[in-house]
Amino acid sequence: MSGRFSLEVTDLVKHFPVRGGLLRRPRIVRAVDGVSFAIGRGETLGLVGESGCGKSTVSRVVLKLLEPTSGRIVLGGIDVTRFGPGAMWPHRRRIQIVFQDPYSSLNPRLSAGAIVGEPLENFGIAAGKETDERVARLFERVGLRAEDKRKYPHEFSGGQRQRLGIAKALSVNPDVIVADEPVSALDVSVRAQVLNLLIDLQDEYRLSYLFISHDLAVMRHVSHRIAVMYLGRIVELTDKRTLFSQPLHPYTEALLSAAPVPDPAKKSRRVAVRGEVPSAEQPPSGCHFHPRCPYVLPACRTTDPPLIEVAPGHHVACLRRPAGGDPAPLTPTQ
Amino acid sequence: MNNVLEIRDLATHFFTRDGVVRAVNGMSLDLAPGETLGIVGESGCGKSVTALSILRLIPPETGRIVSGSICFDGRELTTLSDEEMRGIRGHQISMIFQEPMTSLNPVLTIGTQIAENIVRHRNLSWSAALDRAREMLDLVKISDSRRRLDEYPHQLSGGMRQRVMIAIALSCNPRVLIADEPTTALDVTIQAQILDLMLELKEKLGTAIIMITHDLGVIAQTAQRVVVMYAGHKVEEAPVDELFAGAMHPYTRGLMRAIPRTDTDAESGGRRRRLEEIPGIVPALTRPIVGCPFSPRCAFVAARCRAERPPLEQPKAGHCVACWETRRVLEAAA
Repeated sequence: MSGRFSLEVTDLVKHFPVRGGLLRRPRIVRAVDGVSFAIGRGETLGLVGESGCGKSTVSRVVLKLLEPTSGRIVLGGIDVTRFGPGAMWPHRRRIQIVFQDPYSSLNPRLSAGAIVGEPLENFGIAAGKETDERVARLFERVGLRAEDKRKYPHEFSGGQRQRLGIAKALSVNPDVIVADEPVSALDVSVRAQVLNLLIDLQDEYRLSYLFISHDLAVMRHVSHRIAVMYLGRIVELTDKRTLFSQPLHPYTEALLSAAPVPDPAKKSRRVAVRGEVPSAEQPPSGCHFHPRCPYVLPACRTTDPPLIEVAPGHHVACLRRPAGGDPAPLTPTQ
Repeated sequence: MNNVLEIRDLATHFFTRDGVVRAVNGMSLDLAPGETLGIVGESGCGKSVTALSILRLIPPETGRIVSGSICFDGRELTTLSDEEMRGIRGHQISMIFQEPMTSLNPVLTIGTQIAENIVRHRNLSWSAALDRAREMLDLVKISDSRRRLDEYPHQLSGGMRQRVMIAIALSCNPRVLIADEPTTALDVTIQAQILDLMLELKEKLGTAIIMITHDLGVIAQTAQRVVVMYAGHKVEEAPVDELFAGAMHPYTRGLMRAIPRTDTDAESGGRRRRLEEIPGIVPALTRPIVGCPFSPRCAFVAARCRAERPPLEQPKAGHCVACWETRRVLEAAA
């Protein structure tokens, strides 16, 4: 693999046209509106945000399941942005996905063995007996039993199905795995098993993860760096430790303070954010977060803050957080 | 102080083609007036079925309360007629569900749905009920309440719909509010708003709340006392501080260590810490459980655990646990 990064995304934009009705003009949903990041080998970049922030659209675009409106996607040093299905084919195996709900992403008519073996044969990586051997090794590695190969997806529990989904993604030796809410549908006791498996596999194969979740606790556990998204944009990106100890963007701060801490002695000190996430069809002017922000200035309503590096490795898009500025908490303006 | 609700040895079973599912199997709990009681457990542990049993909402085609008693304010609910039960439901005991969209009627206005419940239980005219509905919308902090009365559920966001559900549930000043995963479908900043609202209204109206959730964070931040359920049984019960500081049941202890957290660092010596796993999965409820339901997954299992179901004992005042090996568990923890 060439290049420093397994996956590099620059100014990624994905707009969806929404057809107007009889009397309504066609509109555009700006699902992803200029997103940039890079993921190194063996690194996990967490993408966190609330529903509708565009995190899942990012995942579909980097997998080229959706064509980007503009921007650049570089996979292992190769610019794949303009690749059509044919040109993309040989590169598809470099990037694989693990879905939230393994049940709806696994073919119910195929046995577990066939589900994991199919990509191997499709990509010409193995055939016949060799496929069987590789499938057996994968089953063992993800903690499924050899006799499970003959079972069908509905015969597995949720956690086992997610193991199967991971085995399928892993089968073609990818460099990057996009994990889209991989443990959100699982119960607590099983969630730990799957998270541990994902971490072990990453360390073993130096996989790069784009890990998408709305759950900050899961993020803190698996990520090396975290990007916080709000209405199609990254508002803060830094290493995990800094994000949790010194969040600079008001939205990050609100998100962290809203997460209920599993310790009754630490009653959440909530930073009040008013209202709800506005529609991506008509995002607010200026900073998208300004209508909910407790620290809003008049300029925030008109000026769109760029994502700048305010301290080494710490990127923030907020007018109140200039480069080299005081990282102390802000005083509410209202 | 008299309890507003007392459940004794409740068993609710479902009769399916695969056999009898013992969803709740010998559950007892007390609820004091104005108290918040948390019920926590993973999917299939019986927490929702307990709630539906209290309201007598178990679908009669498939299941029924087979034994036990549910005593509300001195009245035995299990033997009430359907008509008598309708007088209690939505009036003295109300419930809110996880997904407000499926529990609101899509073709009726918000105002109609709130007023309907008021007219059903209170001797009020329709216009007086609508006035009261508007007061309820103000109470749950929905702005512009007069206009909202004429809106339909699809015109509201998820957070607003849950506020409407709370308005309906509290419209007749119930003594007990049962909330079944009320914020699970909501984003984290909205979840914080809804939980704050529920606790504020509880103080204001003196309603006792049964908060059912799988999320230990929500439990820690809202409940005063907690019941932990596993496979249809109550395995532990304690005041919230006591439970989080010194859980005694191996399952509760396992759950607490299996969750990733936002408030502590997930690394040790630069490497990501592994979460503690609870091996295995929950038992099938179609077969009678011999002994302790957690014994197949328990690190402290002894011969007796597999043969005899442990009774609920009270090693400390107010702290109950159903475990044969409490002494060993506590020694290992010390």
